[in-house]
Amino acid sequence: MKNFFEVSPLKLLERSSHKGLGKGNLGVLMAGAGLGKTSCLIHIAFHRLIHQEKLVHVSLKDSPEKVTSYYNVIFNGLVEALDIEKEHEVRDLVDKNRIILAYLKESFDLTRLRRNLHNLVREIEFIPHTLIVDGIDFTETKRDIFEGFKRAAEEFQVEVWFSALSPKDIDEVNERGIPFPCDTLDDLFSIIIQLSSSQAGVFLTLIKDHDREPLPGATVRLDPNTFLAIE
Amino acid sequence: MVDDIKRLRNIGISAHIDSGKTTLTERILYYTKRIFAVHEVKGKDGVGAKMDSMELEKERGITISSAATYCEWKGYKINIIDTPGHVDFTIEVERAMRVLDGSILVLCAVGGVQSQSITVDRQMNRYKVPRVAFINKCDRAGANPYRAMDQLRIRLNHNPVLMQIPIGLEDTFSGVVDLVSMKAIYFKGPFGEEVRIEEIPSHLLNEAIVKREEMLDAVSMFSDELMEAIFEGTVEDALIHRAVRKGTLSRQLTPVFIGSAYKNIGVQPILDAVTLYLPSPTEVESSALDMDHDEKEVRLSSNPDDPLVALAFKLEVTPFGQLTYLRIYQGSLKKGDDLINARTKKRIKVGRLVRMHADEMEDISSAGAGDIVALFGVECFSGDTFTDGTLHYTLTSIFVPEPVISLALSPPDNKSKTSMIRALSRFTKEDPTFRSHVDEESGQTIISGMGELHLEIYIERMRREFGSDVATGIPEVAYREAISRRAAFNYTHKKQTGGAGQYGRVAGFMEPFEEGVYEFVNQVKGGVIPTEFIPAVDKGFQSCLKKGLLIGFPVLGVRITVNDGQHHVVDSSDRAFIQAAIGAFKQAYVKAKPVILEPIMRVSVECPSEFQGNVMSSLNQRRGLIMSSAEDRIFTTIEAEIPLAEMFGYATTLRSLTQGKAEFTMEFSRYSKVPESVEDELKVRYKEKAKGGRT
Repeated sequence: MKNFFEVSPLKLLERSSHKGLGKGNLGVLMAGAGLGKTSCLIHIAFHRLIHQEKLVHVSLKDSPEKVTSYYNVIFNGLVEALDIEKEHEVRDLVDKNRIILAYLKESFDLTRLRRNLHNLVREIEFIPHTLIVDGIDFTETKRDIFEGFKRAAEEFQVEVWFSALSPKDIDEVNERGIPFPCDTLDDLFSIIIQLSSSQAGVFLTLIKDHDREPLPGATVRLDPNTFLAIE
Repeated sequence: MVDDIKRLRNIGISAHIDSGKTTLTERILYYTKRIFAVHEVKGKDGVGAKMDSMELEKERGITISSAATYCEWKGYKINIIDTPGHVDFTIEVERAMRVLDGSILVLCAVGGVQSQSITVDRQMNRYKVPRVAFINKCDRAGANPYRAMDQLRIRLNHNPVLMQIPIGLEDTFSGVVDLVSMKAIYFKGPFGEEVRIEEIPSHLLNEAIVKREEMLDAVSMFSDELMEAIFEGTVEDALIHRAVRKGTLSRQLTPVFIGSAYKNIGVQPILDAVTLYLPSPTEVESSALDMDHDEKEVRLSSNPDDPLVALAFKLEVTPFGQLTYLRIYQGSLKKGDDLINARTKKRIKVGRLVRMHADEMEDISSAGAGDIVALFGVECFSGDTFTDGTLHYTLTSIFVPEPVISLALSPPDNKSKTSMIRALSRFTKEDPTFRSHVDEESGQTIISGMGELHLEIYIERMRREFGSDVATGIPEVAYREAISRRAAFNYTHKKQTGGAGQYGRVAGFMEPFEEGVYEFVNQVKGGVIPTEFIPAVDKGFQSCLKKGLLIGFPVLGVRITVNDGQHHVVDSSDRAFIQAAIGAFKQAYVKAKPVILEPIMRVSVECPSEFQGNVMSSLNQRRGLIMSSAEDRIFTTIEAEIPLAEMFGYATTLRSLTQGKAEFTMEFSRYSKVPESVEDELKVRYKEKAKGGRT
């Protein structure tokens, strides 16, 4: 089996000042429609799961079956790309360390999420390291919700990753270079990564790195099919 | 006879036990002139309501097994499929839900939305069944249709809209005000058959105006045309009906009607609602699996001229032979036609074609797409698909999971034994996941199925319907054994006891085989084992798979490769090579590090969200692996994988944990290695059993 950490898109964070997001912090992956935000987010999840860390995937739009099928697609790609031999063992590891919480029919609110996280910790001793939150509409969601997430991240000592859709027709960028819709929220996020595509390929670029300026060259090129890091 | 498929309705009447659905069905049949007298459900007059064709149902006043009946109303033909109200009857529920296109959800005006209504409604959601609601028993003390409607909104997440208001309530309940026509409706005559339309009583006029406005507000969301007409003050009844229909079909609106079936009030308007708001078969998407293309899903057309595709959804044994209920999804069917059973590939001839009316029948000569009919004397199983032979479609997957649990039955006397055999023959035809066999060693009859409840239901039915009062053993999980590494064998079977001897040597190896149950590979070269003996070697190995050496359960996933051996020109025989293979298997099996596998079930629990923590904890305590939890405002669905051995008695645990407000389903997922502690325990139990068998 090849080393997952060498091809994980999260190797980008090795170039960040804290070598990662860190517990109690929020991170966001920004991209335009159809570029593969969810795929990238799931790669972040696999990075954690293969480290045998517990993870909660919070979905605000897709059913658990759909989320699981996303994971399966990415996992099958990983099996092929990394030449994983003991596929069953790795799959069992993923199943054992991941729980999907889905909030359908606009049923999401922070109180429910906190209650559910408490249930996981108290009732089944599932203490998550990471929360992946997919499906939040950054243009519609108020700032206090993200502030609530920040408090929950601190309370449960988890790192929380979001995905944010960058609308094609809005080019606004704040004075720190953070584009819409994260331009008014960047103080709440410790890491902001942008997923972009050009003729040269698909790239992940670190645009916010905790309290420091991202280092020049904090970019990783991805395979557009597998979303694994090429260089 | 109405031939237009657009004027056909296949509906279910679903509700909590005792909310009066059987009485409602009886009244519907009376008003549609299918019966000429009405009876009470509990059979005080010794006749019993028409839809309760099983003894047990008659006695309890509930409906367990679905029956279909046909009636006509104002130029529409309606097939009523009486759906089971019990959650436990999964196969019955699944089949009934599959064949109906819409439903009347009956609620009790006193009890409101009870836990069983929640379950039934959730099942209808799962099958995307549009429904209209009927709040029954408005004549009873404590009746409050408005509270029941609120519960429909809050507890079932519906968007209910009141289409009527009551005239009086409890013992003064005498009719309804229709908010579309703004007329009062009274039901006169001995059984309410005479519908009288009158002006709204003056004391109800203001309330009716307010409620109509509320109704128009809700309904206009589904029609811009209606919205405009409201602004312009030109609302017509037809416009309202169209909008209600649109909302109902999209399952975003539930029109609510009120009445008392027992007091013959409000039944005819609910029949009107069925024709006005519930879908015809052309408005429901149906699909089949194409067996020529790896069970790829294909859309069916509901066109009577296309090739026939029909589902046998229920069997009944009658004094005249087996009666098979059929839903025609595509094409048409007539007396004398040849049909092909997609499962057996056997051709059958349509002899008698009948339309069912509970337990009476009417002979017909043909039926088309969308219709529900019954065939006589056709040998088939429930769930079988029939086509005209030009298509290789099936409406249910031909994959039938292996049973995961079994139970020994002991009939106390010969009479019980005879009726048990009859019952088992019937049940195994109805339900492919239910099996029975006689154990060679103990001579006991063993039944197997997909869970504890599954078997309990059939045992109860055996007692009730067939009078077979069998004693049952303790349920046993269907464990399996498997090898975990490759191991070689080289075994010689040699016996010389006077006369012809026995000689055979087989050599090779066994290894784990993930792709299937068993594979035999012959790599013997140079005729060291003559070709004619190779099948005997294979047979010998296969005989060992039936009973593993660890705990006596079947062995899964083994590939045997034989690459060497020896024979004797005189003493070798099939028998000798069978024995040689058995010896070789025993020699290698232990070296191949066998493990015990247990069935892992995919368990899905639906509960009100406040019970999420308790339910998760209960699953976790049963060696469960929680996979996900999905909320939809009111309910949470928790999915987990749990060993079957840990699921005994879970229904009771769940009931007490959630005040009976949760339900669970489970299905086989896969086999997985048992933890060491469990393995040790199983081995000890097996040794004790073997020891007991010897003494």
